[in-house]
Amino acid sequence: MDPETFRRDLGAWLDANADELTPPYDGIASMNEQMAHYSLVKRALYDARFGRYGWPESVGGLGGSPLLRAIVGEEINFRGLADPNAWTMIEVLAPTVIELASPELSARLVPPFLRGDEMWCQGFSEPDAGSDLASLSCRAVKTDGGWVVSGQKVWTSFIQYSQRCVLLTRTGEPDSAHRGITALLVDVDSPGITYSPIETMHGRLDFAEVHYDEVFVPADRLIGEENGGWQVAMDILPYERSTTFWHRGALLHRRFSDLVAQLSDSGDLSELTAKTVGEVFLSLVAFRSRSRDTQYRLANGQQLGVETSIDKILITSAEQQLFEAVRDLLPGVVEFDEDPEATMWRTHYLYSKAASIYGGTAEIQRNIVARRLLDLGPES
Amino acid sequence: MSEFLDAEDAALLGASLAAAMLAAPGPDEADQALNDMGWPDLLAAAPDHGAAIAFTALGTTGSAATLLDDVVAHALGIPISPSVCVLFDASLHTNPAAPQPGDPRNLIEDNPYVLNGLVSSRIDRATTVLIAVDEFPGTEVAAVEAGLLREPGATGIDPDRAYRHLSAQVPADAVTPVEAEGSWEAAMTAARIALAYQLIGGARWMLAEARQHAMDRVQFGRPVASFQAIRHKLAESLVLIEAAESLAAECLRDPDPMKAALAKSLAGKAALTTATHAQQVLAGIGFTAEHRFHLWLKRMLVLDTLFGSARYLSTEIGRDLLIYGTVPRLIQL
Ligand SMILES: Cc1cc2nc3c(=O)[nH]c(=O)nc-3n(C[C@H](O)[C@H](O)[C@H](O)COP(=O)(O)OP(=O)(O)OC[C@H]3O[C@@H](n4cnc5c(N)ncnc54)[C@H](O)[C@@H]3O)c2cc1C
Repeated sequence: MDPETFRRDLGAWLDANADELTPPYDGIASMNEQMAHYSLVKRALYDARFGRYGWPESVGGLGGSPLLRAIVGEEINFRGLADPNAWTMIEVLAPTVIELASPELSARLVPPFLRGDEMWCQGFSEPDAGSDLASLSCRAVKTDGGWVVSGQKVWTSFIQYSQRCVLLTRTGEPDSAHRGITALLVDVDSPGITYSPIETMHGRLDFAEVHYDEVFVPADRLIGEENGGWQVAMDILPYERSTTFWHRGALLHRRFSDLVAQLSDSGDLSELTAKTVGEVFLSLVAFRSRSRDTQYRLANGQQLGVETSIDKILITSAEQQLFEAVRDLLPGVVEFDEDPEATMWRTHYLYSKAASIYGGTAEIQRNIVARRLLDLGPES
Repeated sequence: MSEFLDAEDAALLGASLAAAMLAAPGPDEADQALNDMGWPDLLAAAPDHGAAIAFTALGTTGSAATLLDDVVAHALGIPISPSVCVLFDASLHTNPAAPQPGDPRNLIEDNPYVLNGLVSSRIDRATTVLIAVDEFPGTEVAAVEAGLLREPGATGIDPDRAYRHLSAQVPADAVTPVEAEGSWEAAMTAARIALAYQLIGGARWMLAEARQHAMDRVQFGRPVASFQAIRHKLAESLVLIEAAESLAAECLRDPDPMKAALAKSLAGKAALTTATHAQQVLAGIGFTAEHRFHLWLKRMLVLDTLFGSARYLSTEIGRDLLIYGTVPRLIQL
């Protein structure tokens, strides 16, 4: 199906069903409300078939280009219909699981995720393994019919809503670095898993600290090869930076439009405002253009890799510039106001600070560009 | 370069244009060589894609060939010729030294045309200068005899005086309307896309020089490329260059005045940022007249002012958004 027709049909359907799909809350809601509405939208899209395009038939999809998935998220975000962060997880995790787990496992576990009936999370980071992910130590020991996992993870987003977790474990020697890591798809309700949510600085329970105490994971839950978990992580990253970023870029575009509309109503045409607005727009367009190229490379079956660090750097700076501009141009709103719109701006403003931390920090992205794209040799 | 040439052919063409530019000692010879290689046919067959290839080569070689006059004339629908040059729009303050009304140097009594813009070195040999006008019916273009506008020798920062500031007044009867099907908006769009490619080509040259220097230069017993502060500056430059190239290519795919202005703005930002970072990485040697870096720095400053600087263009677009109150998506899948 060609993207333009798809977009038109989807748009018409979203408009016709706006009553059902529009969030029942104003601005930013609680996590519970947001997750409930996310599931509702995801399910409605699935039932109307739009949510199944771009996914393989083996997992309940209808096939077609991943561009169609990019478009679904774009239209949802332009209309402000669902929280993009929850949506991230499926776009980040499902493609890799489909590619690298056994077909039987994907066929069984991915469809409920696709329907919005389930949520998954990503257990990579540990207290002592952040940027240096390859030093992780959460152990998986081979046992009869599977593995036994023990250790600790941290910053696991959405685990309290999740049924499954893509977990990176240490299966090699402690110092085996990226050579001794194995990826497992773990049921969050397995005996031995306990978690305590951590409150973020924007007042939400986005992520949690998670303990794994002799958790049994069946052998068929392997993703990729044994000791091939680093490859799984490397496979996931480009997905995180393609479809998901297109969605997030659409949300930023939407928020930028809201800002411009508000400034325009106030009649502010000063040089300083025009300059700030113009610079933010330039950054958003720069990201969108780059990301469009990336969507097409993905759709054409090209292997995405380290060059997506450029996309990540561009969207991070666009996002942070945008919300700094909000604070500059709507003085006091972020700091003091209490109406739903102000809460929305405050939440976005604070959350934008995480953009240069999650998914590989701003510094790590630049290290990758320097080492891998500019071929500058090793660091001292 | 999709519809016009495949990537490989485009690269070959770019390389042969670049070789011709490097072999030519000055802008006249370069123009001649490019003419002989079929630049006019390239521009006629594929104005945007052809200009993109040629202007990238201008950027990477530092050539002062005067192709911009042709790009603008062509977009205006006026036959290109080495004797026709253009008064280009640019981000300039009004020259306080220029004769003002009432100035004794001002010999033109009534209703003079005040011209303020940039011209290429083609002015030295051209017979006609095209200018933008708004009072003639059916055309936005007029011609002034080049001889009236040749100034004695203001130097300017450009290494080859490739572009010069022209600030002059001419009597109304020296301005004659020219039949032109194209609009200045179309000409400006074409020029901005071409200049974006030249800025990107220049930025890539500067980045390559800085990268090589960082790899070769040893301090504290290791290449300076191993220091993170250096690496991040170069990474920053590459990110901007890649974004600018992507947006410029989007303009070729689906041209539009706003997109072209943004592409020129982003390319200017990429070139100026890369110049700053490259200068720092090159350090002492990059501050000498001997190293060629300064030639690029100066050319980039001049190119940035042409048809609106990075900052001017983004501010103007910001103002447009505020006036309309809505934001276009601009780029679609
Ligand atoms: C909102 C949010 C959601 C998240 N969700 C998840 C999730 O769902 N699952 C998950 O596994 N993780 C998640 N994370 C964790 C995230 O991936 C890590 O925070 C990130 O990888 C950085 O690790 P760290 O916080 O330990 O920082 P550190 O690695 O300790 O870094 C500290 C500082 O040192 C710098 N630094 C480190 N190494 C280098 C280097 N080599 N060169 C230069 N500078 C360096 C960093 O850039 C940073 O500025 C989330 C984080 C946030 C903020």
